[in-house]
Amino acid sequence: MFSEDTILLFYEITDVIIAGLSTGSVYALMAVGMTLVYGVTKAFNFAYGDFFNMGGYLAWMIMFGLGLEFGGYPLVMILVLPILFIVGYALEKLLVAPLRKREDWENKVMMMTLGLALFLTSLYMVVFGVRMKSLPPILEGTLEVGQLVFAYQDIMIFVMSISSILALGWVLNNTRVGLAVRAVAQNPVGATIVGIPKEKIFATTFAISTVMVGFGGILLSQKWFINPNSGGIIMVKAWVVTALGGMGSIRGGLFAAFIIGMLEAFVGWFFGMSYSMIALFGLLLATLVFRPQGLMGKGE
Amino acid sequence: MLKITNLNAWYGEAQVLKQVNVSVDQGDVVVMLGPNGHGKTTLLKAICGLVEKTDGDIVYQGSSINGLATEKLVNMGVAYIAENRELFPYMTVLENLKLGAYAKAARPYEKENLEKIFELFPRLKERRSQMASTMSGGEAKMLAVARGLMSNAQFLCIDEPSLGLQPSLRMELFSTISEINRQGKTIFLVEQNIPHISDLADKIYVMEEGRISFEGSSEDALGNEHLKEIFLGM
Repeated sequence: MFSEDTILLFYEITDVIIAGLSTGSVYALMAVGMTLVYGVTKAFNFAYGDFFNMGGYLAWMIMFGLGLEFGGYPLVMILVLPILFIVGYALEKLLVAPLRKREDWENKVMMMTLGLALFLTSLYMVVFGVRMKSLPPILEGTLEVGQLVFAYQDIMIFVMSISSILALGWVLNNTRVGLAVRAVAQNPVGATIVGIPKEKIFATTFAISTVMVGFGGILLSQKWFINPNSGGIIMVKAWVVTALGGMGSIRGGLFAAFIIGMLEAFVGWFFGMSYSMIALFGLLLATLVFRPQGLMGKGE
Repeated sequence: MLKITNLNAWYGEAQVLKQVNVSVDQGDVVVMLGPNGHGKTTLLKAICGLVEKTDGDIVYQGSSINGLATEKLVNMGVAYIAENRELFPYMTVLENLKLGAYAKAARPYEKENLEKIFELFPRLKERRSQMASTMSGGEAKMLAVARGLMSNAQFLCIDEPSLGLQPSLRMELFSTISEINRQGKTIFLVEQNIPHISDLADKIYVMEEGRISFEGSSEDALGNEHLKEIFLGM
């Protein structure tokens, strides 16, 4: 009924879609973290991509640097996620919080986090070297459905990023801390009035976003490489997803993440990987020209 | 319950409050009147820890509270109910109320207070799953007052509750406030005009240009020629 070529093409496209879905799910995770911190603190974090690499490097360090490979990813998660939380919390308290008391603090925070990004990049180069590192797949092997082949790794990445987004959503909607985070995002003055310690919520939110993007780093570094210099480009990607979705709209960010994951996968497959960034930024520019508030932003 | 002595407050370089002295007794409704922009709101905010630069003394139940963070004051039983309400627009009525009980001191009483509030404001009970941003002005005001009560506060600072409300809603809100007072809460209220509050107030202050220009009972206030002039234009 179908020619051999058509069937091959179908398999190839399926592969591309799966790649797009698994990358897109991690982009979604990163965009949610970025949206959260932007929505709550109204400040832009330039070091976001370097926290992605921090996740990757810490995982690498535990598995190979410290020789705890036997513990596999469960041990990595148990150790790395709390470390990321503590690092995020401490950095917010030490670097960002003091700036918030000053005038024009949003710009100062941007400069500060830009400095932090450069600092972390240089730190990674000194500690881990300029050679790229890689992480093993979280799960080896493939799932075969008829002629279709799915890598367990892709399935795991997809499932883990989506479940952590759902978990975050649950926390935001059903816990006291989550309610407080949303309150600060919606009305900081109202939050103060009811007695929410705003400073603590700012730091907690920053820490949560650090965990989310670092977790994304652990997941995606299995497919990419960990490169000390890649923080900038990863931050820009997360920003593209966030801006495309509409800064501050979590649903928009999710939507945009999968659009971009798919776009990258398809353009990379059809034209070659070097074109995917062109397509990505082309899409962002076009969206912002025709819909400056992003896909689902609330506008001004 | 609350005693303010020689309070000064600034916004940036501008001095808004000048040597203000106020005292509120437990169980009373005290009303601060005055024209718009003369410092009434600043006084409430200063009590509730929302003004950065102040000096002078604010003593609440025997301890000095000037300079304390709002979250501490909420735990001590002081609640601020803002004129512009400061609700959480994309949350339901119930979520707004739950956040009202965020303070540690309020948590053990959350259920009990919620029940009392639904008795006091039956309309909020009906609308508990509605988004705060979709409520009318009057309902939003009620929600703001109710959220303040959720903190289990003993001392409520209410800023211009009647502003922008139609007369029937205004009456309803004032009768609720008086009911809240009967249930034992002390109330410090800011309003622009006398007529609505003369029945309610145990004591009236008037603030003009950041200073207290009058202190006395409702009857004294209604009989005062200067006040008639500024409030009724007579």
